[in-house]
Amino acid sequence: MAFVTVDISKRFGKMDVLRDVRFTVEENEFLVIVGPTGCGKTTIANIIAGVEPCTSGAVTIRGERVDPKKHNLSFVFQEPSCVPWKTLINDVLMGPEIKNTPREQARRRASEIIELVGLAGFENYYSRQLSGGMQQRVAIARAYVTDPELLIMDEPFGHLDAQTRYLMQGEIMRIWQQEHKTVVFITNNIEEAVFLASRVIALSKLPATIRGVHDINLPHPRNLTDPEFLRLRRILTEQCEVTD
Amino acid sequence: MESKQKEKISSFIYNILFLIAVIAGWGMFAKWQNSPFFPLPGEIYDAFIQLSTEGDVEGVALSSHILWSLIRIFAGFGMACVTGIPLGLAMGLWPKLYNRTRAVIEPIRFIPPIAWIPMTIVLMVGFSRYAFLIWLGAFFPIFINTLLSVTRVNPVHINVVKVFGASRWYTIRNIVIPSVTPDIATGMRVGLGIAWMCIVAAEMIGGEMVGVGRLILKYAELMRLAEVIVGMLVIGIIGFIMNEIFIAVERYLFRWRAEISL
Repeated sequence: MAFVTVDISKRFGKMDVLRDVRFTVEENEFLVIVGPTGCGKTTIANIIAGVEPCTSGAVTIRGERVDPKKHNLSFVFQEPSCVPWKTLINDVLMGPEIKNTPREQARRRASEIIELVGLAGFENYYSRQLSGGMQQRVAIARAYVTDPELLIMDEPFGHLDAQTRYLMQGEIMRIWQQEHKTVVFITNNIEEAVFLASRVIALSKLPATIRGVHDINLPHPRNLTDPEFLRLRRILTEQCEVTD
Repeated sequence: MESKQKEKISSFIYNILFLIAVIAGWGMFAKWQNSPFFPLPGEIYDAFIQLSTEGDVEGVALSSHILWSLIRIFAGFGMACVTGIPLGLAMGLWPKLYNRTRAVIEPIRFIPPIAWIPMTIVLMVGFSRYAFLIWLGAFFPIFINTLLSVTRVNPVHINVVKVFGASRWYTIRNIVIPSVTPDIATGMRVGLGIAWMCIVAAEMIGGEMVGVGRLILKYAELMRLAEVIVGMLVIGIIGFIMNEIFIAVERYLFRWRAEISL
């Protein structure tokens, strides 16, 4: 039995957004879902995390229907999601608080993760004092601190400038290699997808259907000019119908 | 010395200089007018001293007038908070409720408190008259700001805790309340300012003998404009001080926010 199974359709009013989207997620893999803008990728992420309901079908973890109160999920949102009235450390501690982790243990883990994402020393800063890149690091720290079974990231670097984005891609790989978690990562950037993924799913335009699934066995850190890298890039570009 | 401190001190000095310039300008203009109805700064100052120490023509001290006005303001303001905040929250949380009643509520909002005076004279007596007017002035800013604050709660923040499986109470305490409080505070501050500005109108029809609005009226009837101006300045300065205190409290409570406007 796969770790996570996704079998969903979604309709907004008369419009089909997702049509029979079916895939699985294996434990500890870094699955990237890539597709053109507006194809419903965020909807998939929201449905998996239980933020939105699907019109038909279900998402299961280990056979059980996904439930944020039962399962240990984390989500990194596309837009800055730092809670402005909490200092960095208190923001990161929200997850453990909700899950009733003992304070001392939570604090220790939070310090570890804050250091891991490169924000040591900023614990008492408010989000208005942090840059966009730093705020996303906080969101990532917050997602990791609860030791999630499933970590969903919805275009987390979408709002960052190109350089910060490059930097964060490297950081995410470094963090993932240290804290191996099951990650579902959404992006519209094909290069980013090939750079990060252990497996990648290509989605079509609306209504989203799966166009291709590829395992990627290249070693990390990946070489953007490697022929295999470029081959995958080409295939995914075709499958996502990005060049129209 | 930090540049921020330098800037503060320099602003302060400029303010003093500007004040002196305005007073001097007033003095020159008044001298030129040479009218009994255009008091010189010196006369205004004398009137102020007189009112503070010996009281007005009926012997009531300035401090009494101020105290009574403040008591009435805070009573009306208190009622406005107690009615405006819960109503605003309800209408914000259940938009249908607001949408189905706004055709009636919104036009009422635009009736200035002064226009209510004839009705209050006919239907009410004494304290309740001006408590009502003050309540009117403060209610709508508080109500509207509270209502809007609920709509401005960022769904991302709600979803952040939702994914962790937060209870409704956790969400309300950690996300909704901190989100809406700053806007409610702004509504309260604006409401307080408007309520204070209603004092003259309110005390005109109230019939009480004490209050800064009453003071102004008394001396206006006697054509003694120096005292009238003292009353006006007292109203302005107290309003200003209340606003500044409010802002300082807001700045501390909501120090996580970027700079707030006036």
